Amino acid sequence: MSLANSITRAARSMREEARLHLVAISSLTIAFLGLGLTLLVSANVESVADAWGRSARISVFLRDGAAASEVEELRMAIEGLPEVSAVDHLTAAEARESFFEGGTADEATALRSIPADAFPASLEVELTAGVASTRSAEIGERIAQFSAVDEVETYQGWFGRLESLLTAGRNLAIGLSLLVLLSVLLVVGNTIRLAVAGRKDEIEVMKLCGADDAFVRGPFLVEGGVQGFAAAFLSMSLLTLGFLLLRDHLDATLAALAGVRTVFLPPLFAVGVLVAGTLAGVLGSALSLRRYLTV
Amino acid sequence: MRLFSDEPKQGGGKPFAFFRAGLSPSSAQKPILVFEEVFKFFKADQPTLRDVNLTIERGEFVFVTGPSGAGKSTLLQLVYRKQTVDEGRILFCGRDIARLTSESVPYLRRNLGIVFQDFKVVPHWTVFENVAVALEILSMSRRLVRSRVAEALERVGLAGRGQDVTGTLSGGEQQRVAVARAIVTEPALLLADEPTGNLDPHLALDILTLLEEIHETGTTVLFATHDHTLLEQRPHRIVYIDDGRVRDARKGLSDLAHTRPTVPHPESAQLDARPSNVVPLGAPRLARAY
Repeated sequence: MSLANSITRAARSMREEARLHLVAISSLTIAFLGLGLTLLVSANVESVADAWGRSARISVFLRDGAAASEVEELRMAIEGLPEVSAVDHLTAAEARESFFEGGTADEATALRSIPADAFPASLEVELTAGVASTRSAEIGERIAQFSAVDEVETYQGWFGRLESLLTAGRNLAIGLSLLVLLSVLLVVGNTIRLAVAGRKDEIEVMKLCGADDAFVRGPFLVEGGVQGFAAAFLSMSLLTLGFLLLRDHLDATLAALAGVRTVFLPPLFAVGVLVAGTLAGVLGSALSLRRYLTV
Repeated sequence: MRLFSDEPKQGGGKPFAFFRAGLSPSSAQKPILVFEEVFKFFKADQPTLRDVNLTIERGEFVFVTGPSGAGKSTLLQLVYRKQTVDEGRILFCGRDIARLTSESVPYLRRNLGIVFQDFKVVPHWTVFENVAVALEILSMSRRLVRSRVAEALERVGLAGRGQDVTGTLSGGEQQRVAVARAIVTEPALLLADEPTGNLDPHLALDILTLLEEIHETGTTVLFATHDHTLLEQRPHRIVYIDDGRVRDARKGLSDLAHTRPTVPHPESAQLDARPSNVVPLGAPRLARAY
């Protein structure tokens, strides 16, 4: 049995039973799309978490009118802590400009009416990796005792919620992946079963002419693989198209909420989905043939 | 006479037949098909075939006939292993096909050409596709497939009809397609199981004539039929099956009245007895055709 021959016969059969295969591919595309959307959302939540440095960041908002010497003293004290990797002094003007970054031109114009003193000066403290959240909170409490400090934000609440979201997103993605795999196996398996039933005359003729297992099963395996690949490809294409169409709006929303841009799934991931879809299709076909086709 | 133009010319007979069976040229002298004490039961107390001893020589044309339900089709089905014997053995080119494993059966069938009463063509395929499938199974190149199919179609009188959808052809033409598929691989043995059963007398004679032409190129033909008009018109050897037993009339119908059923082997009553020279289970499969 040659692969080329199997592909040729599979192509002929899929043309003859186009409707059957289109229904299967459509169903699977919806399943893959659901999975893709979940993963896309998870990727963006992760992006926000990365941008905020997880729990390795503290913002020290300075009191209005704090003397430069007090600020310098505070800065040196913070830099002396072993858990601190860097301290960056952000003036009120700099804070205002960084807020406008990432927004659209219209939003920037609207926001510039906000007075400059609405953005307090701050010391942005970066902690080293691996600092426990309890230690971060302790550092924040010590910093708050300095007279130049108005407020200390350790972002523990935000990071906690982000982590929960990320964990939930990952679990959902795993669950959806398994569900999609099961869907592929069932839908492809059922489609192949119908195809076998519809082609029993052909199969009988091939067997009487001396066809072995591989010759009879080959085209069905190809069809299963094509269904899985087509569904994965269509879903990735639709996801990409939707992302490109909505990116500007999504960017503005995410920038306003979290100060980051939207991200798409890595290219390697899309390739992985195509490969996984194809293999799942072949597997679904093989399992169905094992049950419904006796050669 | 060569059947296909790309066939290398060798002295006498059909050069590929016994090579395809994986045997040496000296095997060409042996009978192509031998039934030895074959029993087949569909009901425990009523054998469909009992103690069949039959030898078919290479290049013979043999009618297999008998009343309805006599076992004509069963005899042929045992050869292409749609059925298995309950006792005895069947030697095809010297190999016991009754002992073949199921994985080996496809390779046996590649050495056979089979024509059926109900044609067994795929109606929504083209004529070309129906004939080519026998060669695609052998992994032949596309060029060679096209060439061989064209020659086979010409041989059966369907030249230039390759692109016609088979379902649109008449019954006689569909049977010709089936014959083309059966001969395109140049088989050693052609089995025809009531090939004229669904055809009118005129077409039946056409098909018989076609198979006789194929026979003249050296192919051994087993033709199962209950149509006595065909037997009357052609003086071929007749194997008559009645009540499970076989009568052999080598000179045709006129000889049939003078023959007696083959004498049962003394051991045939012992249904669990096995001949001493039975090939053990797991005999190696026949070689591939190509």
